[in-house]
Amino acid sequence: MFKDLDPILHSQLRLAVISLLISVKEAEFTYLREKTQATSGNLSVQINKLKEAGYIEVIKQFKDNYPQTICRITPAGVKAFADYVKCLESYLGVKK
Amino acid sequence: MDNKKPDDFSPQESLRLISSMIETTRNSVKDSSHYFLLWGWAVMIACAIQYYLTVFAGSDKNYYGWYIIPVALVFHVYFIVRDRKREKVKTYINEAGAHLWTAIGLSFFATSFLFGKTGWEHSSPIYMMLYGIGTYVSGSLIKFRPLIIGGLLCFPLIVLSSFAGDNMQIVLLAVAILVSYIIPGHLLRAKFKNQQEHV
Repeated sequence: MFKDLDPILHSQLRLAVISLLISVKEAEFTYLREKTQATSGNLSVQINKLKEAGYIEVIKQFKDNYPQTICRITPAGVKAFADYVKCLESYLGVKK
Repeated sequence: MDNKKPDDFSPQESLRLISSMIETTRNSVKDSSHYFLLWGWAVMIACAIQYYLTVFAGSDKNYYGWYIIPVALVFHVYFIVRDRKREKVKTYINEAGAHLWTAIGLSFFATSFLFGKTGWEHSSPIYMMLYGIGTYVSGSLIKFRPLIIGGLLCFPLIVLSSFAGDNMQIVLLAVAILVSYIIPGHLLRAKFKNQQEHV
C-alpha cells in the first residue's frame, strides 16, 4: 500500500529511534530503550537494521568499566528521514 | 513498543509517532539548577562577608570572603563529573549551554588576572555583565523565563553601579546574583522536581 515510503523507516520502532535521534546529537542505547519502551532484544535488532542501511552510527565503548552503546544519526539518515516525511506529506495531501 | 509491519502502520500513525518522539526529546533538557545555586550562594556569601568586613568591621582584609570561590570550584568539578556519568543523551541545547558556560568561566578566569593587576574596584560591573550574558542566553536556550528576566535585569544594575561607590557596587553585585542566579536557580529546581513527580 505504502510502497513509496522507505521500508527501513516505515516500521514503528525504527521510525521511533530515528525520530529520537534526529533532534539530539547522540543518545545511549538505554535512553532509546527507555523512551521507546521496547525490549532490549527488539531494539538491538532494529538498531542493527538502521546501522546496516547507513542511517545511524553505533559506537560501542566502555564508561566506568561498563559497556556503553551510543547511537548517532548520519547525514544519510537525516536525508532519508526528510524524504520519508516528504513522502508522508504527499500521502496525507499536505499542501505547502 | 512493538514493531508493527509496514502495512499495519498508517501514514497518520507515522506522523503521530514522529511528533511524540520529538516532543520526548524536548524534555531532555538537563537540570542545571545546582550550578546556579552553587555559584549564586557562593558569590552572595562572598559579597556579604566583604560588605560586613568593610562597613562594620572596618577591616582592610575585606577580600577574605572571596576565598569561597576555590571551594565552589571544587564542588563545580564534582558536579560536572557526576553529571557526565549520568548523562544518557547529548542534545544540541545542552551542548550549546555547555559551550556558553565554558566561555563565561574562561572569561571569569582571564579577567581575574586583569583585575589582579589593575585593582578590583571596577570589577563588579564586568562580572554582572558575565552573569547577565550567561543567564540570558541560557534561559533563552531552555526557554525558562525567570533566567531570561534575571539575566536582563543585570544590565540596568550595571548602569546603576556606574553611579555607585565601592560599597554600593558590592550590594548591586549581590542583587545581580540574587536575581540572575539564586531566584531563577530555585525556580528551575522546583520546575524539574515538579516534572519528575508528574512523570
